Amino acid sequence: MPPSSTNQPVPAVVTGVQLMQGIGHAPAKGFWADAWSSVLKRPGAVAGLCWITVVAFFAIFSPVLASGHPIMLTTPEGRTTWPMLAALTAVDWYLLAVGLSVPAAYFAGPAAGRAARIRWLLGGLVVAGISVVIASLLRGSLDSRTPPAWLLPTRNSEVGGLMVGGAVAVLVGGVFAALPFASKLVRRLTAVVFAVVVAAGAVHLGWDRPSIERFDYVRQEAAGAKASYSVVPFSPSQRFSELSRVAPGTQLGPSQNLPAEHPAHDRSFVLGTDAFGADVLSQMLHACRLSISIGLVSTGIALLIGVTLGAIMGYFGGWVDLLLYRVVEIFMAVPVLFLLIVAAAVLPPELRTTYTMMAIIGCFTWTGMARFTRAEFLKLRNQDFVQSARSVGLPLRSVLFKHMLPNGVAPVLVDTSFAIASAITVEAVLSYLNLGPIDQASWGKLLASAVSSEGEFKWWLAVFPGIAIFLTVLSYNLVGEALRDAIDPKLKKARV
Amino acid sequence: MTTYLLRRLLLMIPTLIGITFLVFMIVASAPGGIGAAVLAQAGGAMTANSGVAQQRAYLEDRYGLSDPVIFQYFRWLGRISPVKLGSQAQQLPSGEVIRTPRPIPQPPLATWYSQGLPTLPKVEAAAIKDLSEEDRVRMYRRLERQYIEGRFNTVARITEFRSQLTVYARERGLEAGVNPDGTPIVEFFQNLQPDRSSTEWVVLEAKGKAVLEAYTAGLAAQAELAGFFDQRPFEGYGVALLPGVLSIAWPDFGTAFSSGRPVMDLIPPAMATTLTLNLVAIPIIYMVAIPSGILAAVRRGSLFDVGIGSVYIALYSFPVVLAGVLAIGFLANQQYLGWFPVAGLHANEASQMRFLPAYGEGGQWERGWLVDMLWHMGLPVMCLVYTGFAVLSKQTRAAMLENFNADYVRTAKAKGVSNKDVIFKHVFRNSLIPLITIFVTVFPGMLAGSVVVERIFTIPGMGSLMIEAINNRDFEVILANTVMIAVVNLVALLVADILYALADPRVAYS
Amino acid sequence: MTTLAAANTPSAPNGSVAAPASRKVHKSLDEKKPLLRVQDLAVSFDNRGGPRIQAVDGVRMTIYPRQTLAVVGESGCGKSVTAMSTLHLVPRPPGRFDRGRILFQSDAGERDLVTLSEPEIRSLRGNEIAMIFQEPMTSLNPVYTIGDQIIEAILLHQKVSFSEAQQIAVQSMREVGIPNPEQRLKAYPHQFSGGMRQRVMIAMALACQPKLLLADEPTTALDVTIQAQILELLREIQRQRQMGIMLITHALGVVAENADVVCVMYAGRVVEYANVFDLFDRPMHPYTRGLLASIPKTREKIDRLVTIREVVDNDAEFRKLPGAEQGVRPWWPWHQPPADLAARPEPAGDYFLQEVRPNHWVGVWRTKAVADHESRPPDLDYRISDDPSRGGVAGRV
Repeated sequence: MPPSSTNQPVPAVVTGVQLMQGIGHAPAKGFWADAWSSVLKRPGAVAGLCWITVVAFFAIFSPVLASGHPIMLTTPEGRTTWPMLAALTAVDWYLLAVGLSVPAAYFAGPAAGRAARIRWLLGGLVVAGISVVIASLLRGSLDSRTPPAWLLPTRNSEVGGLMVGGAVAVLVGGVFAALPFASKLVRRLTAVVFAVVVAAGAVHLGWDRPSIERFDYVRQEAAGAKASYSVVPFSPSQRFSELSRVAPGTQLGPSQNLPAEHPAHDRSFVLGTDAFGADVLSQMLHACRLSISIGLVSTGIALLIGVTLGAIMGYFGGWVDLLLYRVVEIFMAVPVLFLLIVAAAVLPPELRTTYTMMAIIGCFTWTGMARFTRAEFLKLRNQDFVQSARSVGLPLRSVLFKHMLPNGVAPVLVDTSFAIASAITVEAVLSYLNLGPIDQASWGKLLASAVSSEGEFKWWLAVFPGIAIFLTVLSYNLVGEALRDAIDPKLKKARV
Repeated sequence: MTTYLLRRLLLMIPTLIGITFLVFMIVASAPGGIGAAVLAQAGGAMTANSGVAQQRAYLEDRYGLSDPVIFQYFRWLGRISPVKLGSQAQQLPSGEVIRTPRPIPQPPLATWYSQGLPTLPKVEAAAIKDLSEEDRVRMYRRLERQYIEGRFNTVARITEFRSQLTVYARERGLEAGVNPDGTPIVEFFQNLQPDRSSTEWVVLEAKGKAVLEAYTAGLAAQAELAGFFDQRPFEGYGVALLPGVLSIAWPDFGTAFSSGRPVMDLIPPAMATTLTLNLVAIPIIYMVAIPSGILAAVRRGSLFDVGIGSVYIALYSFPVVLAGVLAIGFLANQQYLGWFPVAGLHANEASQMRFLPAYGEGGQWERGWLVDMLWHMGLPVMCLVYTGFAVLSKQTRAAMLENFNADYVRTAKAKGVSNKDVIFKHVFRNSLIPLITIFVTVFPGMLAGSVVVERIFTIPGMGSLMIEAINNRDFEVILANTVMIAVVNLVALLVADILYALADPRVAYS
Repeated sequence: MTTLAAANTPSAPNGSVAAPASRKVHKSLDEKKPLLRVQDLAVSFDNRGGPRIQAVDGVRMTIYPRQTLAVVGESGCGKSVTAMSTLHLVPRPPGRFDRGRILFQSDAGERDLVTLSEPEIRSLRGNEIAMIFQEPMTSLNPVYTIGDQIIEAILLHQKVSFSEAQQIAVQSMREVGIPNPEQRLKAYPHQFSGGMRQRVMIAMALACQPKLLLADEPTTALDVTIQAQILELLREIQRQRQMGIMLITHALGVVAENADVVCVMYAGRVVEYANVFDLFDRPMHPYTRGLLASIPKTREKIDRLVTIREVVDNDAEFRKLPGAEQGVRPWWPWHQPPADLAARPEPAGDYFLQEVRPNHWVGVWRTKAVADHESRPPDLDYRISDDPSRGGVAGRV
């Protein structure tokens, strides 16, 4: 047959023969690339992605953008301190490193090696992130009533943070470097080194942060100190007990009886305050972090559990499937919210941190993904490529994860977006019921202040956090819808 | 068909047992187990006369807090199971269920300070024939209090003995017999002889003797109570199928701490309220969602389809929490619109209302009980239904679109069936099947939404029962509530299975 | 060469075929007049994000009563679209009739099916023209009994009561060889095997005694023994009822056993049209020759199989046609048009279905030689059972 003539103009009508020659239809780029470009064609999904980017931006930069600690404080004697930076935790520093390094790696340097660069950067960042979380937990345990004895020496040491952060990062990095998916040894080592640097630095910088914040800058300013604040000059944990549930735009000065020339006089609560007197806007900005991390971490855990169990059920079938599916049914029989409420309620308050909440949500919401994966694997296991992989003698984990999983993962990944949306909703409900994380600002917690016990309704406590929750959930749902339409073959084209 | 139903029913039982296991493990795996929160509330102090101690004794009796969690689970399972093994429980006139008393915990290392352990004494049965019911209850309460005190004292003395044992062990240099957290390993000392020359021994022996004293008293109390119980002074609980071996009775969910009432009194009215809300919501959802889904499918790509799809996504993304708060803030509150009532399911004077609306004396318009309840249900039901619209409508549309391309539609058209008949007789009938399966996921979502809605609108249903129980740390209610919700869900799933079998002949006749 | 089993000896299928129905639903047909004439049919489809796809581009065929026309070709050559366009089963937002006529001898006289409105074509569907499809598994509605589905077809077109319709359904099922038809009325499709389901489809299609049956690969999804039974059944019913059959298939063995006239299609056009013996004995178009040559022969020992491509890639094959020295060339889309092309300006003006031998048409380029001597369109009133030289009995059986 003659070669396809690609430089001819496309005719208005093509015959089947011409289609065979390659005239008249655009070449495909690859399954996920095609799906992604379909997603990007839909305005709703694009808008959703923009909003999610905005939320992610605030999640990373909120401690810098909204802080009750001034960026720079100069005492009347001339001593300059940097309270805001001192108040940043290890996780804050880590996220700042992420927020700055990822765009830098994306834009700096040639476009050709971009994907590979981002890949090893992300590898290093994941290792650093896990190390920072572990190190923060260790640091937290130092402040508890029964600190572990082997950690005590680091408490008062100057390089305590550096050592702990570095040590944990080396351990975690070692584990990751041993895993099979990082490609080259050099890249692995570079990623680990990068991770160690980031983790140790973050932990060190956040090591000496006092566990309870104090805000007495107003008094210092009255005594003549000069302070420059960030965009939103309040922290979520900064409570003005007399200013409970004040309306948006209320100024700080009059209610605190400050003289008019006091620099803090004109500071206003742009979106009002909640029942504890804490600024709503700063809480909303800090709550972005919770919504992103709930999305990533909880759904990540649920994905891990769900896909693994689903793969095992689908692949083995038989009585393995029978037994494990009963477990899935049990989880499906009780509404997840009930289980979560009970689980959250039995946790003593000091254990209700963000991390435990994320873990709990992840541990209870995996059933949907397990069912999808199981259905896909049940279908796939009879297909020829699986049979041939097995007959060649490939080990089980290779058959499952290298061959079957990439083919069966599409519906689960579509479900991921919806799972993130529902995780955010669930977290909002838990926070509303006062069962959410204690140490973290949350949109749901703000909602809880909206209707007081006397029945008084303050609209700003419902409308602003409500808009934030609604837009975030809507964004994930829109992206999920677009992804599903892009992947589902039945809805793709009209049948010819 | 009947075999199919039977199979589904039988499969429900292991699922139910699994649910009870899951729920119990979640609650009991809290640090410290079930009794921990009770202790936490009282700051760790344990005095025999405080309400906390009573709670703890109650829990100890019911579950055996010192036993492994799995035993606690089986004890609880035995109580809530309708099929009961062993001798039959009895029921007080107040409704409380009582059982034969459990044994007092044995003193450890009894050989060290006594010749032998006393055995359960024989007690003369108090004549109960001539006693009135009130007197019997009073007698039971007295004996019960005695028994609880005896048990409590024994446990307290044993604890003291054990801490003294640690001191003794440290003084004797027997570090191997002490756990890192300071508790002694009793088994370590079983085969040793006490070193009577130690200074700590005197104290230890005295404490041991105190244990013995408490134990004896406790045994006596147990024997008296058991003797009283065995005469069966009260009515038996449930129906004895094989006396002494097997009986069936209502599940015994225990007593709620906060109110003192049996949990079985609290649950049915709460369940009725929640079910009313949900059962009213379901037809509304179906009546709105199915036509809109069909229309969107038939007019695929049109303005209606795209528009209604967008509206539904927005609705689906709107959390129930937010909708409820906004509704109650703007629509119910007097500050703003005040169209709807703020709280509860009935107005305060509802019990005096007539059922139907009418004109009363003096020409006044009376709402009537029915309209009043519907008016109160308006906002809560509205908050429950709108999420369901989105899910069901999308599913209907997707199912119809999928079936449009089916081969049998082509066959039907080739036979000459009109387009309208193709849609309604062929496509829609096949689309019913996924609609029924989607019910399986919608219903638990609605039950969960009830929690929030009931809390916001102060409706006394299962959801608010749950929240209250959590705030009061009322574990019995928490456990019972979760199990009952699961049962409701399972029944709903069974109904869905039946409907599914009716709709799809491939299922029933295969 | 494939052997042609004596297509007119009734071999007993699994369920015995009962006596023909005594009622007549439609008017008797004049066997001399064509039942269906497809004249220059063209159908194209809208392709979102690309140019329109021309699925059928100038197809001509004729079917006579009691004749089986086999339409042969590879996937995508447009044979199903041709059949489905007859009944307007092609969805007509993406699809479109570009031009052409489909003339059918209905009870109300000869009508052009292309121009009919929706209610008019609906009155013909299942009634005078019936269609059966490839997948019996999915072609029956799973939630209704087969009785319901057959009776639905009957009640749509015949004014009978429900119980009469039931009897007709039972009779129809008996005719296709379904045992215990009265009980089976209440059965669901999933309770039947594949072959039985196809019989149900046929019963449903034939309940109103259509004049024309369009069979779109009716046996491709069935195994070989069932295949033989179903085709035998169709032949038997055709014999009893004067029914015309358009049999769409890609299996040449089926064609050899069952067809009277064969129409070979490629890329939306007809490349060869002849009676079955002429086609197999003397194929004219290189594509047909390639098709026939590529059938593996079990009695010869060969080193490699012949492919179609070998034949159509060979330019010499295209000069073997009678009239080649005058410039008559078989049409082939992969070739450049010959130098003396005298194409007409309208669509498909570069192609013509020319009768190169008596009763044997070949799709050729419309060169000057062809343009000057355009032949009649394909019209073959040939039936094996009528042909005395092939062992058939002249006249009706």
